[in-house]
Amino acid sequence: MLSEREVVSTLNMLRNEHLDVRTVTLGVSLFDCVSHDPDLFMDNIRAKLARYSARLVPVCEEIADRYGIPVVNKRISVSPVAVVAGPFGAGLMVKICKALDEAAEEARVDFLGGFSALVEKGFSKGDRALIDSLPDALAETSRVCSSINVASSRAGINMDAVAVMGQRILDVAAKTPDGVGCAKLVVFANIPQDVPFMAGAYLGVGEPDAVINVGVSGPGVVRKAIDRALEKGRASGRSLTLLDIAEVIKKTAYKVTRVGEMIGSEVAEKLGIPFGVADLSLAPTPAVGDSVGEIFQSLGLSSIGAPGSTAVLAMLNDAVKKGGAFAASSVGGLSGAFIPVSEDSSIEAAAAAGLLTIEKLEAMTSVCSVGLDMIAIPGDTPSSTIAAIIADEMAIGVINHKTTAVRLIPAPGKKAGDIVSFGGLLGKAAVMATPKGNAEAFINLGGRIPAPIHSLKN
Amino acid sequence: MRKLTASFLGRDCPGIVAIISRLFGELGCNIEAMSQTMLNGEFAAIFVVDAPDDRDAEYLKKYLSDAFARENVDLSVIARPAISGKWGENLKCEPFVVTVDGPDGPGLIGALSRVFARHDVNIENLTAILDGQEEGSALFVFEAMVPESVDLGRLRRELNNEATKLNLRVSVQHRKIFEAIHRLDAI
Repeated sequence: MLSEREVVSTLNMLRNEHLDVRTVTLGVSLFDCVSHDPDLFMDNIRAKLARYSARLVPVCEEIADRYGIPVVNKRISVSPVAVVAGPFGAGLMVKICKALDEAAEEARVDFLGGFSALVEKGFSKGDRALIDSLPDALAETSRVCSSINVASSRAGINMDAVAVMGQRILDVAAKTPDGVGCAKLVVFANIPQDVPFMAGAYLGVGEPDAVINVGVSGPGVVRKAIDRALEKGRASGRSLTLLDIAEVIKKTAYKVTRVGEMIGSEVAEKLGIPFGVADLSLAPTPAVGDSVGEIFQSLGLSSIGAPGSTAVLAMLNDAVKKGGAFAASSVGGLSGAFIPVSEDSSIEAAAAAGLLTIEKLEAMTSVCSVGLDMIAIPGDTPSSTIAAIIADEMAIGVINHKTTAVRLIPAPGKKAGDIVSFGGLLGKAAVMATPKGNAEAFINLGGRIPAPIHSLKN
Repeated sequence: MRKLTASFLGRDCPGIVAIISRLFGELGCNIEAMSQTMLNGEFAAIFVVDAPDDRDAEYLKKYLSDAFARENVDLSVIARPAISGKWGENLKCEPFVVTVDGPDGPGLIGALSRVFARHDVNIENLTAILDGQEEGSALFVFEAMVPESVDLGRLRRELNNEATKLNLRVSVQHRKIFEAIHRLDAI
């Protein structure tokens, strides 16, 4: 018999606090699709993706219905295309991207990730072709996402790749309305091989032939739990301290993660595909009440971006990991808190009001799970400035042995303070000013920033 | 030995279980299973006992009723031979939790339970939480065993249909989700 508290609290989490499974992502290896003939290669990809993904959406919907928990997104990740399509040039890469887009549409998934290259130590022919194809590939498709890993703690930072990506981001922006194509392009340091979240999802080379990874979310649930605990503390005359609140976050993350793992492993079982990982991330949406930024207000800051924001984010990120790690038997992906500006109504409002700058966001990314995410910048930003922002962010990841990423959207024709709207889950954002100063000569040096020393840590 | 079932209903107060168990002891009955609950000051309990062969249900009822009257205990008793087997033993069933919430009003439980009955769904526990969220509101929690043969989509549609007429919201969820969120040993 269930207790009243168990029933009421579960219903509240679902109905009022946006508890959901943010994504079930089917990873499919493309290594056995490889062929010297591009048409045969694409036919192999289509056939394999159709075979594995045919039942993905219906099974997710069936399980979601059974438990009354929405599975918001169903997605696919594939092996890094620059590796499996290594012999082909940029023109063929665009065709391959389109084939992937069609396969994604056929499978009824909203995004497919893995149009990716791993270039932290240098470029292969396929890597260059894929990176050069990005402007056309992302402009001519709607569902394919790309990630380029330009740095790792073992290899250092490939500054040639950083420089190229500074330019490619501008090229992609120029080819898509308001630069929205850049929402499908992320530059990474230490990219995990099993991320279920877009746009960074791809299936690493050490992964199985097919795997189900699940991304859980729930910033609204965490915020409401904090608010309730604070209210209860006030009513009982015993005010809560940060230690108490960290405990509340931890327990809430546990609950949210249990839901994700349960749904993910049931989907995997029904599809006859192994379950991979639960990625326990607080991933916001533009909906009010589904925001990471609002948690900062619950914890006493006037808004995200105020002094104290980095400390709050550090505590939040850590507590989410602790609760989630206990709840799930296999944890992976990014696991932490996301701070994507346009995708979070509260973060977007702080940025629009000038309370949150790129510099503060950069500081915050040193303690959270991703990086500079979904930030609109002026369309006339020089490529060297974009590259230098990427280099700074990569340095944080490489030195701290963590994942960092950059997803900047130079909005063509827009200046700092203008508003751009990307639609749907991508939200809208005020264009943020980039840091002043010139990094052109630094970026032009090229080469590689060496891997950091792995001892003498301080 | 024979198995008998006795159910008790009456005013709740300290010592009831002590009296009942003492009387069973006097009768030479061994308590095999029991369940008790309270509602609005009322006590209710079911006992399944192993009774000596010369003690039938009639004898048990008379002995207990007489003792309650003698000792001024406000309890009624029903006794009968225990049934063997239980509903659903040979059926493959899954536990679902149906929650219904909205304005409280007459006919609510009747309307929904008729849908369950039509589909051969067994209600194992029903709890009403009244005035929980706001005054005049009701939340009914049906814990039900749903045979595998039941078309869940149709059951959900019919429940929704009844609930809409009464301005209520219904959700039908597998019990495992509630356990996964709140209990450590659920999955």
